[in-house]
Amino acid sequence: MKILVFVKQVADTEARITITNNGRSLEVENKYALNFFDEFAIEEALRIKERLKDVEVVVCSYGPKRSIEALRTAIAMGADRAVLIDSKDLDTDDPLITAKILSGFAKGDGFDMILCGKQAIDDENATIGPMVAEMLHIPHVGLVTKIETPEGGEVRVDRDIEGGRQTVKVKLPCLLIVQKGINEPRVPLITGVMKAMKANIPVLDPATYGIDVNSCTKEEAKVKVVRYESPGGRPPVKFIEGATAEEKAKRLIKVLKEEARVL
Amino acid sequence: MDFQLTEAQDFFKKTVADTIDRLILPKADEIDEKDEFPWNLWREFSRLGYLGLRYPEEIGGMNADKVMCMIFYEEIARGSVGFAQSVIMNILMGTYFLYRFGSDAIKERCLFPAMRGEKIATMCFTEDQSGSDLGATRTTFVRDGSGWRINGTKMWITNGPICDFCTVLATSDPTKGLKGLNFLLVEKGTPGFSSGQVINKLGCRGTVTGELIFDNVWVPEENLLGEELDKGVFYLGEVLDEVRLMTGAMALGIARAAYDEALEFARKRIAFGKPIGVNQLIREKFAEMDTLMNAARLMVYYGAWMLENNMESRIIAAEAKMYATEVCLKVVDELTRIYGANAFAHEYKPQRFFRDARFLLYGGGTHEVLKDFIGRTIIGKL
Repeated sequence: MKILVFVKQVADTEARITITNNGRSLEVENKYALNFFDEFAIEEALRIKERLKDVEVVVCSYGPKRSIEALRTAIAMGADRAVLIDSKDLDTDDPLITAKILSGFAKGDGFDMILCGKQAIDDENATIGPMVAEMLHIPHVGLVTKIETPEGGEVRVDRDIEGGRQTVKVKLPCLLIVQKGINEPRVPLITGVMKAMKANIPVLDPATYGIDVNSCTKEEAKVKVVRYESPGGRPPVKFIEGATAEEKAKRLIKVLKEEARVL
Repeated sequence: MDFQLTEAQDFFKKTVADTIDRLILPKADEIDEKDEFPWNLWREFSRLGYLGLRYPEEIGGMNADKVMCMIFYEEIARGSVGFAQSVIMNILMGTYFLYRFGSDAIKERCLFPAMRGEKIATMCFTEDQSGSDLGATRTTFVRDGSGWRINGTKMWITNGPICDFCTVLATSDPTKGLKGLNFLLVEKGTPGFSSGQVINKLGCRGTVTGELIFDNVWVPEENLLGEELDKGVFYLGEVLDEVRLMTGAMALGIARAAYDEALEFARKRIAFGKPIGVNQLIREKFAEMDTLMNAARLMVYYGAWMLENNMESRIIAAEAKMYATEVCLKVVDELTRIYGANAFAHEYKPQRFFRDARFLLYGGGTHEVLKDFIGRTIIGKL
């Protein structure tokens, strides 16, 4: 069995991000990390591998060369191999293009199951998984919180729904989008770190997989970022003064009614 | 000149940092407050394999170069010095002489389990009347049948009260000074070997530090670790530079933790209607701290690079240990000034850094002794 995991390298949550170019671009401090939700996907693939034994876990990312570091993290965790598809000449804001490229890779490399995190924590699009599944004409299940061991060409998964949980059976090949809570991603063992340090991670051109590069250019992008804005500052904290608790409570109710208008 | 970490070293640094952030940082305050050896964390951490960091892959180690070792020492000290001391004792001083001179049986019984975290190692140098002055060691050993008989008491032993084995510095003749020093392995359960007073320390809490007593302890011939009798001081020289650079790297770790805390505070703390980071006197502190930390970092990693490349590193190692520790003390002090009165409260982090940093003054040689050594080595015999 072969499991593909799609991952993205994103700005670290502690990285300082500045809006530049009159609101049109972002300047990110040089601190990057493997996307939070993708770690769950890698971990889940590794757990299936540990249960079924004869499983190859391949991790793929479409991004700039620095993304190799995120792929090394995946190998340190236990993935068998990793591939980077270089976004050098094609980098756009359009997730459709990323989905085209990743689905092209999946077609070329082959798979029985694709796992990905529910969204990237930088652009928060949450669209790659469903789009890749559609392009590959395979079923997908979103917000997965449990994946049972695949058996007889299908897999049972649990997913969160409003107010409860749903169990579904899905035929392989399929794409599963996992979310927080499905597992606790492992801390890499030193043996994994050593393997990752030495791993030769191929950096490929999208054309390698027969992807129609002409349809993936900036000009072809259907979504373009117009401007960025930082969130407004938090309103100041207001202290309710008063001689007695009763007086403070009265004033608080007045503020909640007249200023906050929540009562 | 190339000052850049290799891609592998850079990846190692980020992975170690992430591991420390996830496993150790969240427990650092608790380790300090409880001042008990964190057994659960020890088991969890040792499972990852870092305890074999500096030993060859053939025996289950990682064969990390000296720069990577410094990266590890710096990062783990950034997380918790209390925990770092115990870990580094197993990685470096507590196992070095077993790796270097131990028989196959000793390695099987002590070294390999220590690399897996199944046994706790330590090294005993200090006594109540000698620390940096190793020539004044009073713990003795004499030939007794097919082995050696050891008598003496060691003090300030990291991991001492919980160790499974220790490498003891003992003299064949107290009148010989440095020329009578030797290392012997003593294992837990050996008659006459016991643990005495546990020291209630100001900082580095969580590491259990105390007294070890050797009362007529007999060990077999093979427990004398070294090819020749009375060459202990030369064997010590093989690892002393690494120990000193390691102490410098730990100082960098604490300094970084303190600096990050100060930076976050300076950006967020509002005084007189604006973040205190906009005030020139606060900015000056960051300029000063950053400059000092960069200088200290260059010294520690330059020393590690020299050591890795078999270059003479005695002076740079001593200087780096001394300078990085002094920088650490300065950075921690500045943090307590930037932080204001809360730095004095146990519920905030600065007081822990303040206490922990002090301990680095003593390990690897006091700065007074190091300065004398550096000066003496530079000037030479007159």
